[in-house]
Amino acid sequence: MIEIQNLFKTFDSVPVLNGLCLSVREGETKVVIGRSGVGKSVLLKSIVGILRPDSGSIRIAGQEVVGMPERQYDTLRKQIGLVFQNGALFDSMSVGDNVAFVTDEFMNISRQERGGRVARALSLVGLEGVEDMMPSQLSGGMRKRVSLARVLCMEPRIILYDEPTSEVDPVTADALIRLINGMRDRLGVTSIVVTHDMSAAYRLADSIAMFYHGQVIADAAPEEIRNSHHPVVRQFIEGNSSGPITDDESLKFGHLK
Amino acid sequence: MTLPLLARAGDRLTAFIVYVGELAVLWGRIMFLLFTTPLHWYRFLIQARRVGLGSFFISSLVAFFIGIIIALQMAYLMMQMSAEIYIPKVIAVSMARELAPVLTALIVAGRIGAGITAEIGSMVATEQVDALKAFAVDPLKYLAVPRFLSLVVMLPLLAFFATVIGIVGGFVICYFKLSLDGYLYWQMVCDALVPKDILTGLIKTLFFAMIIALVGCLEGLKVRGGADGVGRATTVAVVRSFVLIIASDCFFTFIFYFVFNI
Repeated sequence: MIEIQNLFKTFDSVPVLNGLCLSVREGETKVVIGRSGVGKSVLLKSIVGILRPDSGSIRIAGQEVVGMPERQYDTLRKQIGLVFQNGALFDSMSVGDNVAFVTDEFMNISRQERGGRVARALSLVGLEGVEDMMPSQLSGGMRKRVSLARVLCMEPRIILYDEPTSEVDPVTADALIRLINGMRDRLGVTSIVVTHDMSAAYRLADSIAMFYHGQVIADAAPEEIRNSHHPVVRQFIEGNSSGPITDDESLKFGHLK
Repeated sequence: MTLPLLARAGDRLTAFIVYVGELAVLWGRIMFLLFTTPLHWYRFLIQARRVGLGSFFISSLVAFFIGIIIALQMAYLMMQMSAEIYIPKVIAVSMARELAPVLTALIVAGRIGAGITAEIGSMVATEQVDALKAFAVDPLKYLAVPRFLSLVVMLPLLAFFATVIGIVGGFVICYFKLSLDGYLYWQMVCDALVPKDILTGLIKTLFFAMIIALVGCLEGLKVRGGADGVGRATTVAVVRSFVLIIASDCFFTFIFYFVFNI
């Protein structure tokens, strides 16, 4: 469904994606882990075309999107939903208008049907009766759930999640994990989930890919990752501040190198 | 000593030319979208209301005071030559050709142009512009086109009303302070104003409107960082709009005077 080959992306001469290769099968949930700044969000934005990679290949449903004209890309984008890390809700619109954004832009449906879609999407993320609230009135977790509802309302084939369980309470996080798994099981939605939450990663993933220095250093089933002997993977999943990841950096936690 | 100064001047000139080029590219893209994709009228109307109704009171108030000020300053000079009778003509022509278009444009640049940059800039900073792209919505179509069109439609209207209200401001002084006959004042105004006076003012406001919209949108879309970046971009947008409005006013006045002889 999504095939990424030799992807390179540099910001101000700093390479973020450094020949990255990743493959996601149709209906699979791929969890991407790795330290902050290794290019996880850059990958999601590159897939949806917000960022254009310097070189490499991204194939979505068999179509090469690197270098694809914007209008053609737009047709593909309507099948891809991106849940932003901070929600990215349109703050001049009410929650209801945010959720119905894609519907209002591209679908010619009745007010009643629109209202039904919005209410259904909001109830799926555990938010009911908030249609008339403004994004500024919502907590961080609620904003993220509205952002997810906005994506659900467009009924995409692929959903990209940027840290869906951060900033939400454990009960809501559990509900979101069930929802994401439910969409895979019932609707066959293909997903890429970026997260730092390892317990969520194990519950969500069909496979887990770990990014390090702009490349994938491990890509395997959750159990294999859990039992991995790779020192970088081990340090990350154990959340250890000492190890090859921090040895590799100029600043070691607690003391300067 | 001279060479580094020349080099810096050259760099500034190059940067200015590049910036004008960026504005021209943005103008081209907006015009393309304006004529090739359907317009969302409600977005245009929201912006037109913000530009037109929102700026009407302040631009009218300033024009009224400017009319009073010109009348008083002219009175000081004209009374020495017993030529008070020409004051209405001076007020009418200066308001229509120059003061109302330029002052209205500067007010709108400070009020609306800065608002456009701040709004789009904060949308960039909070990834809302990225969200538009992710949902297959062109940010220029969604954000820039309605703002551009509303300014191009509303600024000439605001300048026209400012001209009328400025002349009314002059009337207040001429009638109450200089005891000029009211009918005579308006007769002199009508005699002085010819269509080309109104037209040159309105043509200038069209370009001022484009400058305000293009600079506001470009600076907003170029925002990097958070609140600091938005604040800096807003300041830059206002300063650049002011400079470009005055510079283009000078350019158009030159063209009208020397090329078209009007």
